[in-house]
Amino acid sequence: MSFDKDMALAKEKAARVKLFVHDVHGVLTPNTFFCDVEGRRRYSFWHMDGFGDLSLFANGIKVAFLDSTSVDGEGQFRAKELKLDKLYFNVQDKPAKLKELQEQLGISKEETACIGCEVTDLAIMKSSGFAVATADAIADAKAIADFITSAPGGRGPIRETCEFILRAMGKWEAWVEKVTKMGYK
Amino acid sequence: MVDIDKATELAKQVKFVILDIHGILTDNTLYYTDDGVKSECFSLVDRIGCMALQEGGIGVSFLTSKVSRAMDAVGEIYKVPEELRWGTGAKIAKLDEYEKESGLIDQDFCYVGDEMIDLGVMERVGFPVAPSDGAIEAKSVAAYITQAGGGRGVVRELAEFILKAQGKWEAVVQKLA
Repeated sequence: MSFDKDMALAKEKAARVKLFVHDVHGVLTPNTFFCDVEGRRRYSFWHMDGFGDLSLFANGIKVAFLDSTSVDGEGQFRAKELKLDKLYFNVQDKPAKLKELQEQLGISKEETACIGCEVTDLAIMKSSGFAVATADAIADAKAIADFITSAPGGRGPIRETCEFILRAMGKWEAWVEKVTKMGYK
Repeated sequence: MVDIDKATELAKQVKFVILDIHGILTDNTLYYTDDGVKSECFSLVDRIGCMALQEGGIGVSFLTSKVSRAMDAVGEIYKVPEELRWGTGAKIAKLDEYEKESGLIDQDFCYVGDEMIDLGVMERVGFPVAPSDGAIEAKSVAAYITQAGGGRGVVRELAEFILKAQGKWEAVVQKLA
């Protein structure tokens, strides 16, 4: 199934974003885990997705993890590693947590962006003014998305979304220049 | 070729799904560290599939001839109960044993397999399923072939197919979300 999205509208929506939320598996990861014969599980993340989240953070956009999918705390490890764990939440009821966050931070639905891939993401995508789906998301998620990344989960969809948002805001060039000169942390 | 109408009819009767592990929950790839510890790659999409089936009142078990602690580490997070993680090469005997124990009959079972060792059980059960990259012999006895290859969401896809056939999908999704 192919979905045509109005790119001008997507840019307009992306330019308003003050809060970016996402789950962990299927977005930050390819929704897989490695398991060895001794029963240890391992998870793979995409290095540059961290850069994406940090790019937004450095540009004044709040980034929240609404983690309903972690198995062994891997989402929290990743958030901590990126020093983005202030807005890390291990939750089952993502829609309720998002509503609470929006109220607490004084951020409206229109100022919220969300990237998702599964049935469990549909509600928070609908509560976000700028909804994004990964390239390998289910059809229902792609149908309601304003933007679909070319990257599938675990292969950089966050990096791509963050660049899209910062470009829409006209902040990308300056950010690239800053990172080029000074790096980022 | 799969006859979707027939597959849907068979899927309506399914009460219990038996999953082979290698080639179904994995893509058959084995990873070894330099000290000989073996790993395999599984899908978290299949976790959703296993949970959805059980939420819809359908039992799920693993049946594999190769036993390791990986079966438990996967079963734990797919919510497959310990007593339904079966490690034996005698797959037909295990089916007989469980039918006796549960009172279920051949027609109530879906079995997902990809290889020669699975053919005996696939020929017995009501709804035999193979992944798109299964052996030709397995695909030729299957009533349904998933679009997904092994390790790439076979169970998620199958769960949606069975639960939609049984009219339970929407309710299950509401519960999961």
